[in-house]
Amino acid sequence: MNSKKLKFVIGSLVIIVAVIVLAIQGMKEDTTMSYSKSVSEVQMLGSRAHSLTLKVNGDLKKGSIVRNNLDLDFVIVEGNSELQIHYIGKDPIPDTFNNDMDAEVIVSGKLQQDGVFNAERIQAKCASKYEADYSSPEI
Amino acid sequence: MADLGNILLFFLFPVSVFTALTALAAGVTKRRGLLEAARRGAYAAFAVTTLAVLALEYLLVTSDFSIEYVASNTNFALPMFYKIVALWAGHNGSLLLWTWIVTIFTAIVAYQHRHKNNDLMPYVLFAMASNMIFFSILSVFISNPFQTLYQEFGNTLQEFTARDGHGLNPLLQHPAMIIHPPVLFIGYVGSVVPFAFAIAALITGKLGAGWIHTTRRWALTTWGFLAVGIVLGGKWAYVELGWGGYWAWDPVENASLLPWLTSTAYLHSVMIQERKGMLKVWNMALVIATYLLAIFGTFLTRSGIVSSVHAFANSGLGPAFAIFLGMGLIFSVTLLLYRRKDLKPDEEMESLVSRESGFLFNNLLFLLATIAVLWGTMFPVISELFTGDQITVGPPWFNNIMIPIGLALLLLTGVGPLLAWRHTSVETLKRSFGWPILGSVILVVVLLALGVRDGWALGSFAISFFVMWTIVVEFVKGANIRRKNSSENFFQAMYMLSRKNTRRYGGYLIHAAMVVMFIGFTGNAFNSETRAEVGEGDSFDLGPYTFNAIKITEDQNENYSSQTLELEMYRNDRLIDVINPEKRFYFASDQPSTEVDIYSTFREDIYAVLSGMSNDGTKVIVQVYRNPFVSMVWIGAFILGIGTLFAMLPNLRESKGGAQ
Repeated sequence: MNSKKLKFVIGSLVIIVAVIVLAIQGMKEDTTMSYSKSVSEVQMLGSRAHSLTLKVNGDLKKGSIVRNNLDLDFVIVEGNSELQIHYIGKDPIPDTFNNDMDAEVIVSGKLQQDGVFNAERIQAKCASKYEADYSSPEI
Repeated sequence: MADLGNILLFFLFPVSVFTALTALAAGVTKRRGLLEAARRGAYAAFAVTTLAVLALEYLLVTSDFSIEYVASNTNFALPMFYKIVALWAGHNGSLLLWTWIVTIFTAIVAYQHRHKNNDLMPYVLFAMASNMIFFSILSVFISNPFQTLYQEFGNTLQEFTARDGHGLNPLLQHPAMIIHPPVLFIGYVGSVVPFAFAIAALITGKLGAGWIHTTRRWALTTWGFLAVGIVLGGKWAYVELGWGGYWAWDPVENASLLPWLTSTAYLHSVMIQERKGMLKVWNMALVIATYLLAIFGTFLTRSGIVSSVHAFANSGLGPAFAIFLGMGLIFSVTLLLYRRKDLKPDEEMESLVSRESGFLFNNLLFLLATIAVLWGTMFPVISELFTGDQITVGPPWFNNIMIPIGLALLLLTGVGPLLAWRHTSVETLKRSFGWPILGSVILVVVLLALGVRDGWALGSFAISFFVMWTIVVEFVKGANIRRKNSSENFFQAMYMLSRKNTRRYGGYLIHAAMVVMFIGFTGNAFNSETRAEVGEGDSFDLGPYTFNAIKITEDQNENYSSQTLELEMYRNDRLIDVINPEKRFYFASDQPSTEVDIYSTFREDIYAVLSGMSNDGTKVIVQVYRNPFVSMVWIGAFILGIGTLFAMLPNLRESKGGAQ
């Protein structure tokens, strides 16, 4: 390999290594990475659950939403498992999120020692609305 | 009409197969008659698909709620305009739109080349018709937009007509959302054309620059549409989703960025091939990658493999797409390997400080950006495969890696064009970069004095300033040289200069557009926000602004009911504007929707969201964001569009009497 080519190879390697370092260093368990779990899986995680950022999906428990000034609390369920959520995020909550919605909810945040989940983000999916459930047919 | 549409759409399948087979046969036997037949097949495919689209439009406009697609995406009260654009509001309809664009492009290519490129055309048409076959299979057999509504009636399924439709998703009832999908789709589908020519070149062994010249405008058009489409998507997210931002590294957003990254790399590296005959395999690979990533993006959006806020629900298309992608990948890579010996470079790289090496590093960075985005997007799938845990990497991960890459690329934007081919001397470097660098340093000092402490932001502003300077100098210097030798004034000279080399100066214009957009991106470092619960008469502050809640009004029309907050905005005790964030409830879809109100200037956006009602209903919760420089992103995208159009103009040739 001649010296000119070598310079290119070294220059390119420096860039490649720098990007790989950025990619690895960016993966942090407590901030940039979040583990997707369902409500019951969170309970199976045990003590490990407190050290991770979690993305928990479950169904909104109807009527569980309590608003108090800017605070928002609610419960998500999966089968017999329940998880109490406290919203600490800053962004407005999604439009589809309210007490009479049949919504699947995804919350991102951390599980506190007292078992309450502090959510920084809420996503609500209202999947069924556009797929079925038409007004009664005219036959 | 539904039956007619269905039959028309169904015809697309045999017509596509016919086109592909005759094109292939024409390639093998080299018979003109067969090629002509394939060409007619392409026209026929375009004709039947166009009629099928018109049939669906007819059903949408006349609100035929016996059709599932019509009932799911429109309702009687929906304004006519939205009924028309509902063609691409849902999964099945947008797939038909996609299919339609494929047939349009195939017909255009067939027509453009009716008298030329007879050696390449059979395989070009074959590749494009293969796409038509695939998309017609999806549209006809899996996601048919003409599907009627069924209901169980005793033991039998019976067709029925819904009394009213579900209406258009409120989130989609916005002007940007109307043009965003077609623009983006044109960008996606456009990548088929350079791909088809590359494949034809590989099959026929005619690997010269012919296929590159032929597809230059297509590649550029595709690229421009992708760029503008991506930004329109951002604009839509910004005004419609109500979280105060326009980009969140969501899988669907990333999916649109991926082919754009590789096609940007291609537009640069192709210049090396044209000039020096190097990077031939690489260019082929980029064209192929761009096309495959475009298909991959569609796959990602419609398969439900990675969960996203924007994605269509799992549509059952996943396996079909995976097979098609796999076949495309294997086919192209095999061809590329088969021809690799014929794609040897004509020359070798000479110096680290030269135009070629600038392009090389540009390409390396674009490649790494593509891999990084792909890796981050697919990480939930990758991690689940290896650890059993589905792990998502959030926006901070992407920013951590993409901001440095983005700034390095921006820097190259300024440096690259000024480097000479082969080798650049230290003297030239000093002359070209001395003043701009000094200017950037002064800018940094001034910004530090003004209290800016964010390192990335300082770096970004400094680089933006530097790049803009070098671009302006290019125009001014060129114009001055022309002026000396002619009677033109400065602006005439600048215009003539640009028109004589539209590719170069259009490129500079696009570079300037990127600088403007980067200034917009950098504004994110200075965002601030506040949230308040207010009743009539209450007030709150954000930065230098004071907001007074004047009135909360309720209203209703046939489409939705609404709540509006009238919010006065003061700065230094002077009334700047009255903003009206609104919350709507759409009856047909039974969905609430947030209508943000934005006070936008060059300097910053004040973005207000009505996010909810207090329990007793007398107060509302309002969220206000202060986002500096956001408008630069939209302005930059506009300049980018102009630059792309300019770069496609033919170069002006001057008569002998004109300037030298």
